[in-house]
Amino acid sequence: MNHAWLNSMLMAMVVGIAFIWLAIPFTMAVLWSLVDPVEPWTADKLLPPTMSFYRWTDMWENSSLKSALVSSYTLAPSAAILALSLAFPTAYALGRISFPGRETAKLLCLLPLVVPPFITAIFFSSILFQLGLNTWRFGAIVFAHSILFLPYAIRILTVSFEQVRQDHIDAARDLGASPFARFRVAYLPALRPGISATLLIVFIQSIEEFAIAFIIGSPDIVTIPTLLYSALGQDFVRPNAAVLSLILVVPNVFLMLILERLMKTANPALLSGKG
Amino acid sequence: MLKKLCATVATLGVLASPLQAGDLSGMSWDGIVAQAKEEGKLTWYVWYLQDDFRRAMKSFEEEYGISVTIPDGNNAGNAEKMLAEKDRDTGDIDVFAWGYDSFETVELSALFKSLGTLPADDGRVSKLAGVDGGEHVLAFWGNQSGIAYDPAKVSAGDLPQSVEDFAAFWAANPGKFGFNYEKGGSGPSFYQNVLRNVAGTDFTNGEVSDERLAGLKPGFDFFNKHAANYIITASNVDNINRVSDKELWMAPAWEDHLAGLQNRGEVRKEIKFYIPEMGMNGGGNGVAIPLNAPHPAAAYVFVNWLTSPETQTMFNRDFGTAPMNAAADDSAALVPNAQRAFRQPWGKQPFRSKVEEAFVDNVILER
Amino acid sequence: MIARKWLLVLALLTPGLGLILLLIGMVVYIAIAQSFGFYALRGDSAFSTEFWSEVLGRKLFSKAVRYSIYVGVWSAVLSIALAYPLAIWLRKPFPGSIGIGAILKAPLLVHGLVAAFLFINVISYNGLLNQAMQGLGIWSEPRRLQNDSNAIGVLLLQTWKNMPFALLLLAGAVQSISEDVLDAARDMGAGSWARFRKVIAPLTVSGMQAAMVIIFIGALADFTFQTTVGPTNLQSMAQLMVSFKVRGDWHSAAVVGVSLMIIALVGSAVLAVVARAVMRGRIR
Repeated sequence: MNHAWLNSMLMAMVVGIAFIWLAIPFTMAVLWSLVDPVEPWTADKLLPPTMSFYRWTDMWENSSLKSALVSSYTLAPSAAILALSLAFPTAYALGRISFPGRETAKLLCLLPLVVPPFITAIFFSSILFQLGLNTWRFGAIVFAHSILFLPYAIRILTVSFEQVRQDHIDAARDLGASPFARFRVAYLPALRPGISATLLIVFIQSIEEFAIAFIIGSPDIVTIPTLLYSALGQDFVRPNAAVLSLILVVPNVFLMLILERLMKTANPALLSGKG
Repeated sequence: MLKKLCATVATLGVLASPLQAGDLSGMSWDGIVAQAKEEGKLTWYVWYLQDDFRRAMKSFEEEYGISVTIPDGNNAGNAEKMLAEKDRDTGDIDVFAWGYDSFETVELSALFKSLGTLPADDGRVSKLAGVDGGEHVLAFWGNQSGIAYDPAKVSAGDLPQSVEDFAAFWAANPGKFGFNYEKGGSGPSFYQNVLRNVAGTDFTNGEVSDERLAGLKPGFDFFNKHAANYIITASNVDNINRVSDKELWMAPAWEDHLAGLQNRGEVRKEIKFYIPEMGMNGGGNGVAIPLNAPHPAAAYVFVNWLTSPETQTMFNRDFGTAPMNAAADDSAALVPNAQRAFRQPWGKQPFRSKVEEAFVDNVILER
Repeated sequence: MIARKWLLVLALLTPGLGLILLLIGMVVYIAIAQSFGFYALRGDSAFSTEFWSEVLGRKLFSKAVRYSIYVGVWSAVLSIALAYPLAIWLRKPFPGSIGIGAILKAPLLVHGLVAAFLFINVISYNGLLNQAMQGLGIWSEPRRLQNDSNAIGVLLLQTWKNMPFALLLLAGAVQSISEDVLDAARDMGAGSWARFRKVIAPLTVSGMQAAMVIIFIGALADFTFQTTVGPTNLQSMAQLMVSFKVRGDWHSAAVVGVSLMIIALVGSAVLAVVARAVMRGRIR
């Protein structure tokens, strides 16, 4: 079968489905964000009756949107990097050393994911308060997020470590490379997709996490989910939520494209055989 | 660190004893006001209408020179923060607002200061919606549940008033009425009043017994008989949205919630509201001061202002609430006073919880 | 295993697993204790098994367990099933593959709460889908699609949100398969399905397990999607837990919470073993 033709067909299909999957909800979000408070947009009208940028200017000037953007976009990368660092040694052990109890250890790493959210919210925050970590709110939130999302980091990096090729490591050692050079040549290429995926996932999880960031941070540190839950929780203020979600999407899209590039340039198959 | 962690876990198991009321109880009210002005600011955690409340704070800030911060948040987040902070020496919350029935889910004396320090005012309300706030909680916001309806579809003369009227409406217009059973009290207010009318149970008696729960059977049978004609919705706000979107013609709602959404342009202004003769529940929200409030004097002064007749009149005028001070003026209400006669108190606990559980088991799960 | 190797393993596990066990372990302990009557937020703390016996005896609880497992398993299976072909297709770069990759992963960036409200907008009674169907003449009047009783809405949203995550993990795993192995298989006459079954699948088991388990746990404990678009005649375990909490019954809420934890852990272990068995054709 002609690969180029197949590719074009599939691309057309994906774009078609993406239109339904993505473009329609997003267009609706854009329209919702333009609804003027003078008249509500009811379902029987195709477009909002009165459109204006009122919501955008109002949210930008009056709410804590600016400080929330700064807080969230500094918290999330910090949590991602901390989670990555903490997960590295553990993922190495789980991925490359075979020891009795390894599968159980892998399972236990999932603990933060299985504990129900409100229990974590109340009791984990309590524990952090007692440990005196809240004097530096920002640091406490970064620490809490990195612990909460360690399972993602550990699991993803474990998969990556398992994919490091033993013959590459052996070859590098045989050629007398220093440990750092060994790491750079043998490990890093296989780890790069895992590192990017970890940073991306923990970043996204941190930016979406509401409860702990709110309990520890409020009222000094406001995060974007706080504003989102404020708008969508009690009263389902759809226009405000639409503005927030659109503002959230734009920087995330850029981040995504950057990470895509990083991952593509690190295709380990290109380093082995004919790929 | 391990030892400190274990000690922490152990102390979390014991509720704090209320020995912190101390520093202000010996002071006169003027002394408290003076200290409040020195403290200069306070933080009020309330989960709804934050923007409108921020505007309403102007008169307090001008009168006392104390700035009020109202953080964004939601009901669950605020409550979890309050609980997570209970063991801290000094927390972040000065004044905490919550639904009256939610205050019942915790041990009040272990979490909140006594409000006896406030200057005496018999007009204030501490018991509301079947819940006694005692010395710790004062009501600042009264609301009333009823039915929101689309006047283009149902004329005022045809509004169902009794349980039989509702059954007839459902039969004539299947799928045009919906109510929620969780995530909000408007639906529960509706179905509990139907149960009360059909089964004749006395909801003011909070006692739980198998016979009393068995006595509700005629009510559950009523709902099951008409199950195909009404729908179950997801929440308070889902009710109102669906009426505004013209999917439903009628749905239970809270008076103040509906008014708030209409004022902000979120739902159609044409939607009207009434209280049927069979009765629907009234409720309210209260405020309390956590034991570890960082600005206790300012908190006291604020609660005093919030529950005063002048402020309650202002809320009635601007938000359509039922004033929570007997000396306030309630002439600006949204519902004609004649209908307020149909206001019912919420069922007493723990009977009410059991009724809600039984409703889910016998009606919701049978659909 | 010699002592030195053990020391090395423990030292490596400490910053990750160690911290988790220390901090979250305490939270788990508190949750279990609360389910047995301690850490009371109202009333006295006293040991009691009545909360367990009462909650486990209710029909509501067993229905919630079955329903949550149904949502958890299907969300994971659907996400993986969709992600695999896409990951294989995008394995080698071709013109436009970066863009396609970004489009496919876009739902990761959308907050769950926002996704739910956008979804409701589209399927609501007088919303876009109903109007389109009526306009095309397929339906004569609007249909109530919200809160359907088979939880199709919840599954759609879960798959929409989780498929990109599975794609992310599987793409990395699939890309690491060296080209010579696949070429050798093709040279030996293996067709596409055989290449997938015998070469790609066994080599990517680890990534698939990780994705499956994480998606399962997330979907099992879902609250947001369930309470916005889920069936109204069924409760998920998270919903049940919150309904107890809202009524002040902290201990019963803890019982449901601990059950959720146990099911999540056991379910993950089972799914991991089943996935390995299916993909490798054997257990080990």
